[in-house]
Amino acid sequence: MDTILSALPDILSATMRMTVPLLLVAIAELFSERAGMVNIGLDGLMSGGALAGFLAGYFSGNPWVGVLAGMVAGVLINLIYAYCTIKLCVDQVVLGMAINILAPALASFFYKVAFGDSSALAQGVQMATVSIPLLSDIPVIGPALFQQTPLAYIAYLLVPLSAMFFTQYRAGLNYCAVGENPQAADTLGINVIGTKVLACVICGALSGLGGAFLTLCYTSTYADGIVAGRGFIALSAVIFGRWQSLGVLVACMLFGFCDALQIVLQVNIQGTPYQFFQMIPYMVTLIALVLFVSKHMGPAANGQPYYHE
Amino acid sequence: MAELMRMEHISKRFGTKLANDDVSLGVNEGEVHTLLGENGAGKSTLMNVLTGLYQPTSGKIFFRGKETKINGPRDAASMGIGMVHQHFMLINAMTALENITLGTKNNPSPRLNRSEDKRKVQELADRYGLEVDLDARVADMSIGMQQRVEILKVLYRGADLLVLDEPTAVLTDVEAEGLFSIMQSLTAEKKAVIFISHKMREVMRVSDRITVLRDGKSVTTLSCAETTSQELADLMIGHRFRESIYEKVTNPGEAVMSLNHVSLYPERKHGGLKDVSLSIHRGEIVGVAGIDGNGQSQLAQVVTGFAQPTSGTVDTPSGKVAIYSPKSFIDAGVADIPEDRNSMGLVGDMSIAENLILKNTDDERFSYGHGAWFKSRHIHEFAEQMREKNDIRCASVDQPVRSLSGGNQQKVILARELESHPSLLVAAYPTRGLDIGATEFVHDAMIRERDAGCAILLISADFDEVLKLSDRIVVLFEGQVMGTYPGKGAPVKEISLAMAGK
Repeated sequence: MDTILSALPDILSATMRMTVPLLLVAIAELFSERAGMVNIGLDGLMSGGALAGFLAGYFSGNPWVGVLAGMVAGVLINLIYAYCTIKLCVDQVVLGMAINILAPALASFFYKVAFGDSSALAQGVQMATVSIPLLSDIPVIGPALFQQTPLAYIAYLLVPLSAMFFTQYRAGLNYCAVGENPQAADTLGINVIGTKVLACVICGALSGLGGAFLTLCYTSTYADGIVAGRGFIALSAVIFGRWQSLGVLVACMLFGFCDALQIVLQVNIQGTPYQFFQMIPYMVTLIALVLFVSKHMGPAANGQPYYHE
Repeated sequence: MAELMRMEHISKRFGTKLANDDVSLGVNEGEVHTLLGENGAGKSTLMNVLTGLYQPTSGKIFFRGKETKINGPRDAASMGIGMVHQHFMLINAMTALENITLGTKNNPSPRLNRSEDKRKVQELADRYGLEVDLDARVADMSIGMQQRVEILKVLYRGADLLVLDEPTAVLTDVEAEGLFSIMQSLTAEKKAVIFISHKMREVMRVSDRITVLRDGKSVTTLSCAETTSQELADLMIGHRFRESIYEKVTNPGEAVMSLNHVSLYPERKHGGLKDVSLSIHRGEIVGVAGIDGNGQSQLAQVVTGFAQPTSGTVDTPSGKVAIYSPKSFIDAGVADIPEDRNSMGLVGDMSIAENLILKNTDDERFSYGHGAWFKSRHIHEFAEQMREKNDIRCASVDQPVRSLSGGNQQKVILARELESHPSLLVAAYPTRGLDIGATEFVHDAMIRERDAGCAILLISADFDEVLKLSDRIVVLFEGQVMGTYPGKGAPVKEISLAMAGK
């Protein structure tokens, strides 16, 4: 118990760090679902972003080039999803699953094209952390909260920004109308198809960014399976967070905390198989979904294709 | 009075079918102009042309004297044409205010300014006497208020010509009266209303002029003051319309089902049954009259085995009912025309043929081994027979039942339910939303079945329908039986009072 107590600052700092990729991708999904597009291909989008970010960072030496590449990769992959679900009205869940199978395989392929089939991991660039003056000097929480990579600050900023967009702005209300009742939105002159495509672009970019965070900030290497189901955890964070930005943040932090906790436990408690601790975030996700979720809270037309005349 | 809008020689072709054939329609400022026609007469197509959802194959539209081309709902809205759809186009999760201001640019700032929006909308609502709680979510509103939100939505977009597509179909009588007075205050401000309906009584009550459509053509335009509902009905169906008058039965056979002191959710004022006793006999129609929501749905649930009464018993000739399940009631010969044909009566995505055998899949006429393997050819033949016998108008019995009009959907249900010659037929709102022709068809079928010895429980919110068909009338009020009256020479006044709980 003492070890865990003394590890508290570490856990806090790790929680903040582990929350970032979840949060980026959960907000990606929030934008997608608000326009009625259930995208379960987040894992796929993340692995695309992770590889593209890693490669671009590795070859340019500049993590920001990697960030940009990760976002572009996410958008490009998600445009497949956009075309098939919006234009061809293919089932969204099926397409999301297809992305989950396609994108990691592509990522694995391109990694091997670039580095051959060697077992040694290539070392890429890592984004430096930025301390915020004064605030980062606060004991315990200072270093945890205010010594982060720029991507982390961006992720946390997205929470109030998206909340304001959805509740305070006309454009946000129109955006939500598309996910609630696209027919009605159409009769009101709202561009339904355009909004849905925009949703896919935002979702792709933020998911790619979340993936790139893993290979540019969290580690500096790429390995197959690096995403490790985080896309699905983010997906459940949106449901658990009841499609509200703040709720999504809370959910992501809970899952991020579990992730951080399991790492600390792995390090500090010997003798227990580490797989047991690794299980924690997924177990908590499962329990949270079972206990706190009601079916009828999401956007009303979520996941349904919109047949345009 | 100045002419606001004129459609000249509009034709609209879908494939080989002419949905509108040389239709002309002129609407003046400040008038209520009714479009009257049976289902499929081309009313909706014409209005979709007017609001820009369809482009006409030929013909011209003039608005305020100028020829215009309407490319979409947005165009129509900016010109001042707005439509209230029969199925509301509202977002349930949002408030009335949000629904009304959604997608507009009346307020140029990108930030929402709810208090200012609210002031403007409230002003508009007060001006036309539209009572709406602007902060309530649509999901929590009554149907009547939702409709007022729709009207406000159209007015907020600056409409001078409002199209109301069958607006009373979903309203109670009281709510409909409210709508009519709103229409009056609209026309008083020089706005024009195109009113679509096939309920003759209200058409005669609210219209200034009436244009009758039949088979896609505009038959004529009449001034309301110079016509009669008989003339309109004749024009609408294309031949002399004679409303059937049915013989009343005064000496029915033995009881098929008796309810003894049945209660279901008795604590509810609306939507429960309290100590209801009534019996339905062979060869008679028992009509249940009452304002919607006074226990009618619950009564239908009990007599079809959907719900088990909280107390009381249901007796049939073979004894007291022990198991309340639709299956056991069906096996006992109870047939059901449910109140909502789309959600309870039919499976929309399944074909007409499949819907027709839905209750009899294990019948050996249709399958081997009690439903293990379908005899497709027999099913098809059966469906063709039913289609012919019941005049189900469709391209093929294999098309999804969803694609049929309401009247034809009801005929599919009727065919399925009456095919087995049930001992008891429960018909809940059997003609809701149907036009004159289909209504007559349903009524004739019910009377035929009665004369063949079937007991029928008719539940309807249409008092005229209850009076016309019933051999015995039971009035429900707040879940209680207020009285039982003979169908022959029914005391209309007394029954009306009973319906109001007096």
